[in-house]
Amino acid sequence: MWCWIRRQLGFDPPHQTETRTIYIANRFPQSGLYTPQKFIDNRIISSKSPECNSQPHILEPLVLPLPQENMFQYTVWNFVPKTLFEQFRRVANFYFLIIFLVQLMIDTPTSPITSGLPLFFVITVTAIKQGYEDWLRHNSDNEVNGAPVYVVRSGGLVKTRSKNVRVGDIVRVAKDEIFPADLVLLSSDRLDGSCHVTTASLDGETNLKTHVAVPETAVLQTVASLDTLEAVIECHQPEADLYRFTGQMMITQQLEEILRPLGPESLLLRGARLKNTKEIFGVAVYTGMETKMALNYKSKSQKRSAVEKSMNTFLIIYLIILIAEAIISTILKYSWQAEEKWDEPWYNQKTEHQRNSSKILRFISDFLAFLVLYNFIIPISLYVTVEMQKFLGSFFIGWDLDLYHEESDQKAQVNTSDLNEELGQVEYVFTDKTGTLTENEMQFRECSINGIKYQESNGRLVSEGPTPDSSEGPFYRNSLSHLNNLSHLTTSSSFGTSLENEIELIKKHDLFFKAVSLCHTVQISNVQTDGIGDGPWQSSLAPSQLEYYASSPDEKALVEAAARIGIVFIGNSEDTMEVKTLGKLERYKLLHVLEFDSDRRRMSVIVQAPSGEKFLFAKGAESSVLPKCIGGEIETTRIHVDEFALKGLRTLCIAYRQLTSKEYEDIDRRLFEARTALQQREEKLADVFQFIEKDLVLLGATAVEDRLQDKVPETIEALRMAGIKVWVLTGDKHETAVSVSLSCGHFHRTMNILELTNQKSDSECAEQLRQLARRIEEDHVIQHGLVVDGTSLSLALREHEKLFMDVCRNCSAVLCCRMAPLQKAKVIRLIKISPEKPITLAVGDGANDVSMIQEAHVGIGIMGKEGRQAARNSDYAIARFKFLSKLLFVHGHFYYIRIATLVQYFFYKNVCFITPQFLYQFYCLFSQQTLYDSVYLTLYNICFTSLPILVYSLLEQHIDPHILQNKPTLYRDISKNRQLSIKTFLYWTILGFSHAFIFFFGSCFLMGKDISLLGNGQMFGNWTFGTLVFTVMVITVTVKMALETHFWTWINHFVTWGSIIFYFVFSFFYGGILWPFLGSQNMYFVFIQLLSSGSAWFAIILMVVTCLFLDIVKKVFDRQLHPTNTEKAQLIKTNSSVKCLDSMCCFSEGEATCASVGRMLERVIGRCSPTHVSRLWSASDPFYTNDRSILTLSTMESSTC
Amino acid sequence: MKRTPQGCQSRLPDNTALKQQQLPAYRLQLSATGVLSGFFATGVFCLGVGIILILSAKSIKEIEINYTKICANCAKLRENAVDFDKECTCSIPFHIPETMQGNVYMYYKLYGFYQNLYGYILSRSNSQLLGTDVKDVGSCAPFRESHNGTPIAPCGAIANSIFNDTIILSYNLNSSIHIKVPMLRSGITWWTDKYVKFRNPSSNNLSSAFAGTTKPPYWPKPVYELDEEDPGNNGFINDDFIVWMRTAAFPTFKKLYRRLSRTQRFIEGLPAGNYSFNITYNFPVTRFRGEKSVVLSTLTWSGGRSLFLGLAYTVTGAVTWLATFSMMAAHLMLKERKMFFSQQ
Repeated sequence: MWCWIRRQLGFDPPHQTETRTIYIANRFPQSGLYTPQKFIDNRIISSKSPECNSQPHILEPLVLPLPQENMFQYTVWNFVPKTLFEQFRRVANFYFLIIFLVQLMIDTPTSPITSGLPLFFVITVTAIKQGYEDWLRHNSDNEVNGAPVYVVRSGGLVKTRSKNVRVGDIVRVAKDEIFPADLVLLSSDRLDGSCHVTTASLDGETNLKTHVAVPETAVLQTVASLDTLEAVIECHQPEADLYRFTGQMMITQQLEEILRPLGPESLLLRGARLKNTKEIFGVAVYTGMETKMALNYKSKSQKRSAVEKSMNTFLIIYLIILIAEAIISTILKYSWQAEEKWDEPWYNQKTEHQRNSSKILRFISDFLAFLVLYNFIIPISLYVTVEMQKFLGSFFIGWDLDLYHEESDQKAQVNTSDLNEELGQVEYVFTDKTGTLTENEMQFRECSINGIKYQESNGRLVSEGPTPDSSEGPFYRNSLSHLNNLSHLTTSSSFGTSLENEIELIKKHDLFFKAVSLCHTVQISNVQTDGIGDGPWQSSLAPSQLEYYASSPDEKALVEAAARIGIVFIGNSEDTMEVKTLGKLERYKLLHVLEFDSDRRRMSVIVQAPSGEKFLFAKGAESSVLPKCIGGEIETTRIHVDEFALKGLRTLCIAYRQLTSKEYEDIDRRLFEARTALQQREEKLADVFQFIEKDLVLLGATAVEDRLQDKVPETIEALRMAGIKVWVLTGDKHETAVSVSLSCGHFHRTMNILELTNQKSDSECAEQLRQLARRIEEDHVIQHGLVVDGTSLSLALREHEKLFMDVCRNCSAVLCCRMAPLQKAKVIRLIKISPEKPITLAVGDGANDVSMIQEAHVGIGIMGKEGRQAARNSDYAIARFKFLSKLLFVHGHFYYIRIATLVQYFFYKNVCFITPQFLYQFYCLFSQQTLYDSVYLTLYNICFTSLPILVYSLLEQHIDPHILQNKPTLYRDISKNRQLSIKTFLYWTILGFSHAFIFFFGSCFLMGKDISLLGNGQMFGNWTFGTLVFTVMVITVTVKMALETHFWTWINHFVTWGSIIFYFVFSFFYGGILWPFLGSQNMYFVFIQLLSSGSAWFAIILMVVTCLFLDIVKKVFDRQLHPTNTEKAQLIKTNSSVKCLDSMCCFSEGEATCASVGRMLERVIGRCSPTHVSRLWSASDPFYTNDRSILTLSTMESSTC
Repeated sequence: MKRTPQGCQSRLPDNTALKQQQLPAYRLQLSATGVLSGFFATGVFCLGVGIILILSAKSIKEIEINYTKICANCAKLRENAVDFDKECTCSIPFHIPETMQGNVYMYYKLYGFYQNLYGYILSRSNSQLLGTDVKDVGSCAPFRESHNGTPIAPCGAIANSIFNDTIILSYNLNSSIHIKVPMLRSGITWWTDKYVKFRNPSSNNLSSAFAGTTKPPYWPKPVYELDEEDPGNNGFINDDFIVWMRTAAFPTFKKLYRRLSRTQRFIEGLPAGNYSFNITYNFPVTRFRGEKSVVLSTLTWSGGRSLFLGLAYTVTGAVTWLATFSMMAAHLMLKERKMFFSQQ
C-alpha cells in the first residue's frame, strides 16, 4: 500500500529499460538524439526505511529498490514531521492520539491534558532516542560519502568526495583502498591490465581475486592516455547478485569500433579492496545505492521479540476490557436514565444544549466519554518505558568486562536494543564453523613424511612416537637438514641410524617441503619482496616479514610452515618461482599450473628445477591423491591421514613425479592443445590432467589445524544443558565438519551419528529420510546426531520438508555441511516456521553468514578475521563464541526477567489505577465523574509509579549472575516465554483487579456512607475519597514492586521510597496552594485534611497490608511447595562461594560488603536450614561440569521430557 | 590474570560497579522464617488496633431520626416547585435514654441525593467563590444567569440546590418547658475553606458587593442574607453554604449542621430526656425518592461511629494469624519430609 502510494507519487520510477548505457568519462556522442540517462548519486543512505525495501526482491524481481534518500533520511528540517509520522504509525501511539482528539472534541470528564501530556512525553522521549540513533547512522554515512576519491576529469586527476562520483566517471584507486563504486576495470599499473582484490568485506573470502581489463584499455595506464579513450559500456541494470555481471564495451579506436564482452572478472565491486596492485583506473557503472554492496545490504528487517508480541496480545486483551467496560457503562447509564428522576433530578438540570442534542449522538458521545475515562487502562507509558529500558539496558552488554576480548581489543556491540530479552528465549542456536567455533587461523600442526609422523614445535619438526629407525625417546630431526646442519645429523646418527638412511630421509624431507612451497597459488605482498634479491637472506626474519595471500588459508599455512622450517617461498616473477633454502636462492621455472577444481580435488604444478630436472608436484585430498600413487609409504600415510582427520585436522597429501624431458614434451603439447581447444575445452583439459597426474610418488601428508576457539566445547555443552539445540551450519566438507563437530563437543562419541549425504535424487532422499526416522524411533534412548550436506538438504527441503524436520527435531545435534549462505538462511527459516515456532539464534563471522544472521530471531556476529560484514549486520556482535554463554545465560536471562516483570507490572498497575474509577461509576449514576483529580490522573503513570519499575528493569538480578552462568539449566525456567504466559498474565490481572477492589471498597466502607473520619465532626467530600483510594494505590503498587525486587541497590531504595515520599510531598504542595492557573481547586487542602484523620492512616495501612497479604502468602507457598530451579538457586547463594570464581572483574569492594551483608543476613534469618537445601540441590541437579557422562544424562533428560 | 587497562586496549570497558552490574546490594529473599515472623507481628498489630478501634467506636452514641415520612405533609407540599415560598414546619419529639457525653454534633443526612454527578460537581465557579470575580459564571451551566441575563451569585447547580431546612433542637424538661438547645454554627467547615477558599468580594457593604448579581433560582433569599443572626456569616463564607459546597462522594451522605454549645445545662453534653426537633421543611427529597434525616452523634478521636475499620483490623489480624499457623505447619511438614528423604 505504502509502496504503491510512493510509486504513484513518483518516488519509485520503474526502470524503463533492462540495460543501461554508460559513456565513459561522460563523453556523450556529438551527434544523434541522445538524452543522458539519469543515474543516482554515489551516496549511501542507511537510514531506516520501512517494509517497502525488504520485499521487492521477492515480489517483483524486475522492479529494483531505489534509494530512499528523499523519503527516509532525516534532516534537520523534516525531523519533526517525520518523527511524528513514524510515531503515530505505531498502534499504541495512534490510540492515544485518538483519545486525545476525542477529549478535545467532546465534553469529557477528563481534560485533554491528561492524555496529551503523557503522549507528548512518550513521543518526545522516543523521538530523542530515534534521532540519536539516526544521527549516528548519518555520521557513519557521512564518513563513507565524504571519503576522498580521485576522478579523472578533463585530462587531470581531480580529488573529490565519494558521494560526487557519477556513473561514467573514471576513478583512480590506489593500493589498499576501497573501491568507491562498482567499477569496470580499465587498466592497472601492470602491463596485462590485471589487479588483485580482496572481497573480504563483501562475501567473506579473504583470498586475492584477480581481475583483468579489456586489452584495448589495459594499455591506457596514464591519465592523459585515458583521456583519449572513447568507449561505451552497455550493461545490465543493477542487481544484487555479486557474481553476475554481463555487459559489453564498445571502444572506438581510429574510427574502428571494437566490441569486447565484459564479465564479472572485469567488475570491481564497491566495498572490495585493491591489493597488491599500485593503482587502477576504472569507470563507475553502478553508484550509491545501486552498487551490489548496497543492494546486498538488506535493510534491517524489523525484528520483534516474543515479549513484544505477547505485549501486543495483552494490549488487545486490555483494549477489549476497556471497550467492554465502556459499553457496560453506557448501557447501564441509559437503563438508569430510563427513570426520569435519575435522568434529570431537579438539582441537576440539563443544559439546553444537552436537551437538544439527538439521542444517538448523545449515546455515542457518552460511549466515547467512558472510553476516555477508562483509557488509562492501556498503559501509555509502557511503550516508552520498555523502549527506555531496552535502550539503557543494552549498554550493560557493551560494558561487560566478561564480554571483552583482550587480544583483539573488542567489546561486545549492541546493534539493536529491541531484542535484549530475546536472548533469554533462545531454543535453537545455529552456528557457523570456521571463524566462529574455530579461530579461522590455519596452523600447520603435523605432517607425515615418508611414513613417519612429525609434529611441529617451535619451528622444528619432532617425530612422533616410535619411528622405524629409533625406538627409544623422541627423535629430533631438524629438517633444515642440509650440509650446514651436519652437526645435528651427527647427533642423530649417534642413535644408531646409518648415515645413508639419514641422507635418504633428508632428501625426502627436502622434496616434501619443496613441494609444499612450490605447489600452490600463493601470492606475496609486493612491498615485502623489495630487497630480497640482494643481500644474504636472514632466515629468522623471513616468516614475519613476508606477507602471503592465498586463495585458501590452508595453502597459506603450508607455505608459512615450510618457510618456518627453512624452505622459504620468496615470490614468483613471470615464470619463475624463487625459493630460498637456508640462504641459498633457487629459481624454479614454473612451467604449468594445473589449477584446483572441486571434481579432481587436487592441484599440481610442473616446475623445472635449477638443475634442469622437471618435476610435477601434486597436492590434494587424500581420496584423490592416494589412488594415483604408485610409490611411497602409501599405507602408513593413509593411516596417518586418518589419525589426523580424527583429531579434527585438515589433511592434504603431497606427491610428486619426476618427468623426463620426453614425457614433459608430450605433456606440454597435450596441455597446449587442450588449452587452446575451442570446443569442449573443459573436458579435454580434464582428460589431460588425468593423464598427467598419474604414477605419482607419495611424499607424505600435511595436517593443518583450524584451532578451536577457547572454551568452545564448554560453551556448547552449556548451551545444551540450557535446553538449547545447537546446529552447526558450515560450508566445509563433510569429514572436516564431522571431526570439528566431534572435537568441539557438538557430537559426542556416544551419539549415534545419522547421515543424510550424497543424495542424488528425490526418491532416494525420501527413502533415506524414512530410514533415519525409523532408526531414531527404534532406539530413542541414545542421542542422535545428524549430518546433512548441502545438496541432500536442498533435496530434502524441496519435497520432504516435514519428514526432514521430524528427523531433525529428534536429533540432539545437527550438522549441516557444504552449505551455501542462502541455504543456511533457509534452514533457519524452516525451523522458525515449524509448528513450535522456536526462537532461533544464529552466530557467524563471515559475510556468508549474513543472510542467516538476518534470518534468525537473534543474529550474533563474531568480530573475527573475515571483515565486519557479519558484525555489522548482526543484532549483537561479540568477539568470541564463548561469550555466547554469558550473553544468553546471564544477560538474556536478566533482560527477560526484567522486561517480563516490567510488562506484567505495567498492566497490573493500570488495572489498579482504573478499576476504582470504573467502580465509582456505579455510585454516581454513570455520570462519568472521575474519582481522581486530573493532575493525579496525568501524573500517576509518568511520575508516581514510573521510576521504581524502570530502575527495577535496569538493575534487577533475581539470582547472582555467577550462579546463572554456572548453572545453565536455570535457563530452562524462562524458556517458552514462561513469565508472559497467559497464566501469569491472568494472575497479574486478577491481582490488579482484586487490589483495586480492596482499595475501592475498603475506602468505600470506611467513609462511604456517612461516617465522619475527623475528630471534630467535619466531613469529607468526593475528592477526599478519591485521594484516599489514590494514596493507598500508590503505596500498594510501589510496595508490590518492592516485593518483586530481589536486588536492592541504593538506587532501588532511593526510587522506591523516594516515589512514595515524592507523592506525599507533591500532594502537600499541590493541595497547599490555590493554583491560580488551574481552573479547579478541588484538591485544595484535601490531602492534608485526609492525613489529619487518624482513621485514614489506619485505613491506609490496613488496605496496603491486605493487598499484599495474599500475594505474599501465594509467593511463600509456591516457594515452599513447588520451588522452581530458579528459586532453589536463589537460596544457594547464601552459603556458596561460587561468586568470585570465574569472573575476573568482581567489584572487590562491593563484593566484600555484599558478602559480609550476606553472612550477616544468613546469621539473622538464615535459619531455614540452608544446609539441607543446598544438599538437596547439589544432589538432584549437578553443577555444570565438564564431565561428559553427567552431561549426556542431563541432555537426555531434556530430550525426553 | 588481572585486567589492567593498557594503552592499546582502547575499548576496554570501565570496571565500575554500575557498569559491571556489581552494585553492592541486599538480596531480598522471602524466607519462611522472615515471612512467618512478619506475619505474626502483623497479626498482633492488627488485632490490637482492631480491638482498640472497636472499643472506641462502641463508646459513641448516635441518634438518627428520619423525618421524611414524619413530615409527609410538608414533603407533599414541596413536591410542587410552585409552592416553594409556602412555609411548612414540623415537630418531631424523641427521647434520649442516656446522656450523650462530650461534644455532640448535629448532622443532616440525605439519602439518594447524588452530589457526585459529573455535571453537578462541575457546575460551580471557583473564581466567583473566591471573591475575585463575582460575575464569573462561566462554568456554572445550567444555572449561570437568570432569565434576564443577570449573573447568578453563587452560580451553579451545587449552590442552587443548597440544603435549606432549618432544624432546631429543643430540650423538653416537661410538657410545658421547652429549652432551645444552644447550638454553634461555627467550626463546622474546614478552616481553609472558611478562610481561604471562600471569600466575599471586597466591598464595605455585602449587599453592594453582590450588586449586579442575582440569587440562585431556588433560593428564597440572596446570599448576603443567609444568616440573619450573625452578619459575619453571610455571603460566600456562610458555614452552611461552605459545607454544602463540599460535594459528597456517595449518594447517601451526612453533613455537619450544628454542634452543641456546651454551656449551662449542656456543659456535660446532652442529658438524657425528651427532646424535639423543630424543622422548617424546605428541601424537597421525595421528588427524587430520597429521604432525609437528622443525626445527633458524639465522636471520638477517630471520628464517627463506624465499626468497619475495627472489624476489618480484627479480621485481618485473625486471618494473618491463621495464615501464619498454616504456613508454619506446612513448613514443618515439608521439613520433616525432606529430612526423611535425606535420611534415606
